Amino acid sequence: MTLSLSDPTWYPIASSDDLPFRHVYQGQLLGRELAVWRADDGNVNVWENRCLHRGVRLSIGINEGGELKCQYHGWRYANRSAGCTYIPAHPADAPARRIQNRTYPVREAYGLIWSAANDEQAFRPFAGAEGHDWFALRPMPVNAAPEDVLAALAGLAPDDQPADLLPGLAVRFGGTWYFVQPVDAGRAVIRGLLREQPADAVATLRHYNETLSKLRDRLERAAARKPAPEPLQPTFEKLSADLATMPDIAIPRGNTITVVVRRKWTSADGVIGFELAARNGHLPTFQPGAHIDLHLPNGMTRQYSITNGPGELMSYIIGVKQESASKGGSKVLVETVREGDLLSISEPRNNFPLRRDAVRTVLIAGGIGITPLLSMARFLDKSALPYELHYFTRAGEQVAFRGDLEALHGKVILHTGLPRAEIGTTIASALGQWSMAQHVYVCGPGPMLETVRDTATAQGWPEESIHFEYFRNDKVIDNSSAFDVELARSAMTLHVPSGKTIMEVMRDAGLTVPSSCEQGACGTCLTTVIEGEVDHQDVYLNRSEKASNTCMMTCVSRAKSARLVLDI
Amino acid sequence: MTITLYDFELSGNCYKLRLLMSILKLRYNIVPVDFYPDRQHKADWFLRLNPFGQLPVLKDDDLILSDSGAILAYLAKKYDESGQWFPNDPAVTAEVLRWHAVADDITSTASAARLALGFFYDFDIEKAQKGAHRIFRLMDEHLWFGEREGRDWLCSPDHPTTADIACFPYVMLSEEGGISRQDYPALRRWTDRVRRIPGFMVMSGIFPAGRAAEES
Repeated sequence: MTLSLSDPTWYPIASSDDLPFRHVYQGQLLGRELAVWRADDGNVNVWENRCLHRGVRLSIGINEGGELKCQYHGWRYANRSAGCTYIPAHPADAPARRIQNRTYPVREAYGLIWSAANDEQAFRPFAGAEGHDWFALRPMPVNAAPEDVLAALAGLAPDDQPADLLPGLAVRFGGTWYFVQPVDAGRAVIRGLLREQPADAVATLRHYNETLSKLRDRLERAAARKPAPEPLQPTFEKLSADLATMPDIAIPRGNTITVVVRRKWTSADGVIGFELAARNGHLPTFQPGAHIDLHLPNGMTRQYSITNGPGELMSYIIGVKQESASKGGSKVLVETVREGDLLSISEPRNNFPLRRDAVRTVLIAGGIGITPLLSMARFLDKSALPYELHYFTRAGEQVAFRGDLEALHGKVILHTGLPRAEIGTTIASALGQWSMAQHVYVCGPGPMLETVRDTATAQGWPEESIHFEYFRNDKVIDNSSAFDVELARSAMTLHVPSGKTIMEVMRDAGLTVPSSCEQGACGTCLTTVIEGEVDHQDVYLNRSEKASNTCMMTCVSRAKSARLVLDI
Repeated sequence: MTITLYDFELSGNCYKLRLLMSILKLRYNIVPVDFYPDRQHKADWFLRLNPFGQLPVLKDDDLILSDSGAILAYLAKKYDESGQWFPNDPAVTAEVLRWHAVADDITSTASAARLALGFFYDFDIEKAQKGAHRIFRLMDEHLWFGEREGRDWLCSPDHPTTADIACFPYVMLSEEGGISRQDYPALRRWTDRVRRIPGFMVMSGIFPAGRAAEES
């Protein structure tokens, strides 16, 4: 028998006990090294044991509970998805969503962690697995060919009780099952299971350990007399070029995901919580500060920040303000959407990335603005980074996600019912004077944003240390220009007269154009520019993105040149 | 008291003392000794301090000491008020010294392989690697059963001792000698525990572990 790199069989690769709190286990299956770690939510991750960045083993990395941090340059990867959530060399940017490490299928059962080289086969319990309280023996690594190990194990069976050879390099006799983990062509681990808990666990473990140690020594002496088999040669997929460089901007691809409303509840006076769960598997990786577009039953699209902590990908939790029914979006959600309903959401996008290299992080939330900041606080919390979260509400009953806030270990300060004048002085003392590597993140009503920005500036905080997310564009839009747009993919040229937006003209021509805020704040209508000079009037793109002249918002931005060519 | 450590930054044996002094919050001066490539540990001035020509050497006022295991015992007995790092109990003392001897075996195997691969020493690499694997296997078994029996450390007390400090560095640096620890999961978990001791410090090639806080 020769081992195959593409063998789809499920093999045990570790004991459940091998994965204590915040540990990273180093394993190997069929020549491929694995980094195996249990997140704080109990989920076990089996990943290729190399960081996408420089190939350093992730098994020497740090298990932060919801993310695994590479020891070399600190790239962090999320529990479940292995998506990259932070790159310290680009602290002010959200990493592209598609940076994702190689994962392997995993199942924890019968005291063992099982995995396979690929997901061609669904996990199936071994024959006779169900209905027993399994007891795992001490695993025994052996430097010998897996098939030789299996044969030797079968030879342990007493004469009157011959061994049953089972599929997947396993053997059984009496109440003992032995599984051979094919580590490599010349290496194996014997993983034994007893069908029931023994009376004296330690004595039983020592007994089997002695038997298997002797077997190992015999096998290794025999293996040493033979030529060593050639190790398996797994190939490592190269990264694509677009992954190997930081993209200037992530263009939304328009993919939508269907989610189930698992839970809808009143989180506080005026705030409704929604838990949106994946229908199967997990949801995509997100970073703190990220939001999703929620496509509402009435055809509208609204943005909501994800409140989750690191590696929490089984569902997204959002908060919706009850009375903000200006355009009918939240109203539909609050009044008509029920538990069990299906909704369509976009992949998460992040216009509000959190730096994790600050010596001091101040988070300031007003009302429903708590949602992205709760997520940020949770990420900082897991990494034991210092932060102060100031949460302003008009009344105590309006404090949303109270239980989640109480579970945080950092400094959380609730400011309820402050008179307007006091809000200003409270913000001023919360900020203090700026010094190196301090950052403030603010989310809340427009006047609060302005107060924080003005106060911070007055107290010496530079522009790049003040972070906020626009939900509204307050600029006066100059729509006086007139120009032509050529839609490259639609093979159409349209004239945009003064007084009309590109989006309106495209819609008049019968095109379907996704949009949400239609004031240059949300990013939904982001479009790739092929040719021409853009007259940016949005608040979504930052200065360097605008200067790149490669993308634009068609709802408010226009052309400086006579002609624009768009990738539509 | 003035403590001076004659130190080579990349030496695991010198690091043992830096580590214990960091844990015990002791202040000390460092005299760098260029072990490689200058071989200053064989220079006349150094041989006058330690005729065996080995690092580290520690001076405490006028007292001159050599051998990392002996110095660990000295520092613990003199400066550790808790008495936990080198316990007085005769049976535990024997246990600790037993593991100090294992630490020396790790030095002559795992560290020798590292010197051969990283510092161009003319040693039998394969023999050194095999020797290290033999010791690591025994340590893994000892620590694996320890976990089952409620013992987190090499010796029986419910706290670390100088035995753990003495064995730790060249276990952690073994990959620089081409010795993988993949087959020793309990040994790897023990290195997490050592790296979580309050006052732990790193050296080149030895990284911090994640926190084990907020366990619930």
